[in-house]
Amino acid sequence: MTDGEAVTDPTETRGSTIGSLPGRRRLVVVAVGSVFWTWLLARWAYHNTVLDWVATAFGTPDLVRAEQGVRGREGWIPAAPFEGAAEAVDGVAATLGPASALVDWLVWLFDLAAFATTTAPALAAGAFVTVYLTVVSMLLGLVIAVPLAVARIYGGRGLRSIALAYTELIRGTPLLAQLFFLYFGLPLAQIAESVGFTGQGPVPRAAAAVAVVGFTINSSAYQSEYIRSALQSVDPGQLTAARAVGLSELGGIRHVVLPQGLRFAIPGWTNEFVYLIKYSSLAAFITVPDLFRRARTIGSETFQFTDIYVIVGLFYLALVLTTALAMGRLERWVAIPGLGSASDRG
Amino acid sequence: MSLLEIEDVDKSYGDEEVLHDVSLAMDQRDVDVIVGPSGSGKSTLLRCVNRLTEVDDGAIYLDGEEIHGMDENDLRRRVGMVFQDFNLFAHRSALGNVTLGLTEVLELSETEAKSRAEEFLGRVGLADQADSYPSQLSGGQKQRVGIARALAMDPDLLLFDEPTSALDPELIGEVLAVMEDLAEGGMTMLCVTHEMGFARSAASTITFLDGGRIVERGPPEQLFETPEKERTRTFLGQLTDLNR
Ligand SMILES: Nc1ncnc2c1ncn2[C@@H]1O[C@H](COP(=O)(O)OP(=O)(O)OP(=O)(O)O)[C@@H](O)[C@H]1O
Ligand SMILES: [Mg+2]
Repeated sequence: MTDGEAVTDPTETRGSTIGSLPGRRRLVVVAVGSVFWTWLLARWAYHNTVLDWVATAFGTPDLVRAEQGVRGREGWIPAAPFEGAAEAVDGVAATLGPASALVDWLVWLFDLAAFATTTAPALAAGAFVTVYLTVVSMLLGLVIAVPLAVARIYGGRGLRSIALAYTELIRGTPLLAQLFFLYFGLPLAQIAESVGFTGQGPVPRAAAAVAVVGFTINSSAYQSEYIRSALQSVDPGQLTAARAVGLSELGGIRHVVLPQGLRFAIPGWTNEFVYLIKYSSLAAFITVPDLFRRARTIGSETFQFTDIYVIVGLFYLALVLTTALAMGRLERWVAIPGLGSASDRG
Repeated sequence: MSLLEIEDVDKSYGDEEVLHDVSLAMDQRDVDVIVGPSGSGKSTLLRCVNRLTEVDDGAIYLDGEEIHGMDENDLRRRVGMVFQDFNLFAHRSALGNVTLGLTEVLELSETEAKSRAEEFLGRVGLADQADSYPSQLSGGQKQRVGIARALAMDPDLLLFDEPTSALDPELIGEVLAVMEDLAEGGMTMLCVTHEMGFARSAASTITFLDGGRIVERGPPEQLFETPEKERTRTFLGQLTDLNR
């Protein structure tokens, strides 16, 4: 399954594709997901500065290793068994002659697994940056997107055209160009650094702060489009009724239109979330050590480009699937009987 | 002094004159029924009274005060409206539909709002449906929630825009019963409806609107038995036949 299937088709999002898998396969997905996330969270915790302080304060300075540089981090799963297996299979392949092509890919698979165990710690650190960039930018973007969408629909002519110009400008230019503009064109990185984004401990480096600004602006424009169309699908009679009770227009929007419209917006919003997970890899080009940059670095050090991009692809896939699943959950959690999601209204 | 006075109101949408020199006055406890063919301007007239639509010309007075000068939210608190297609807030329970105006407009506390909403849901016979969402209610129940929502604001005047015309025939009775109760209780009501049974039993005045003009206006007996205009007789005759 590709993420495209999972989330780009809004009619598919409700209950998400994984949620509708039959029992056995679903169990496998959930099991693999739990193992992955347990490992990932443990990795993050193992190198977390705050936890390190806590552990040290409680007299176990060796429990958490926050000071360990990313490159020096050791994997928890030994590579040897996989290397051994690869060698063994390779030996078998040698005896098979022309049929060896069939087992060759098994060798590659074991080699890949061995490579994955050694590169995983660095990728885990990159995944943290990717998740951080995406989640923070999505939430900050939402804060901008909601008023933007409301301005587009209910604003006066001036407000409407400002909001329109903003969204069209942002959506009409490449994200990478926006990032370069912010990073190289504006002294934003220096400003970020001077206000404390120095990369010490849990504080992100200046480049990451710039990336967050860029992604926030970019995703706010896209989010506002999803939210706008969701708000427009709220029956206008709803606002009329709110006005007729004596609520101001803004009060009606806040208490009646938004609670309904934002629910309708969840599938589209999920879409944007998933896109941003992948587009956040552009942060690598302004030196942010995200998942993609870690992979690229490993690739150029080991020349195993194919292998590392397969592995990092799996990381992204896991993040995307998790998001789709979580958003499906959220949608069901906030569902109100009879208040159709976008998928019900066709 | 009349509670509501509509004076020479004109309203056009583009070139189309929807209301022309409409005047009427209602005293407290009056129940005015407006009838007229589709497109005659009935809804527009109601919407002018709570300023969902602004008049082009003429004036409307509520309790002697010109509504154009009033704060529109305050006006709408005093003039409740019940809609043809209910327009219940789809994301709120029956109770939540009633409490929204209470907390946001009357600024009651949550608990006060809740107990008042329960009281009004009880008055329309829906005490047991307080937690149901609109989609879980029948049309008749929805409309009764709509009435409770308007009523709970303690309005001086209630506007009804064809409150039963979206309902299945067997559900019309329960809504009309609530409206008749209200009329008996002394509520001032301006109703667009084609329910002639209700008009005969509850209306103090019937107004026949056609092409944006008042054709004839008077007590029910007069309009039903001895109308001045032939058009009135024909139209009311058709309605009465339809209602049978
Ligand atoms: N917002 C609007 N913009 C343009 N024209 C409108 C608007 N509202 C109503 N009209 C027009 O005004 C005329 C009167 O409409 P109105 O809704 O008041 O009639 P009505 O008597 O309530 O009819 P019905 O019985 O169908 O509800 C119609 O021709 C309608 O097309
Ligand atoms: Mg109408």
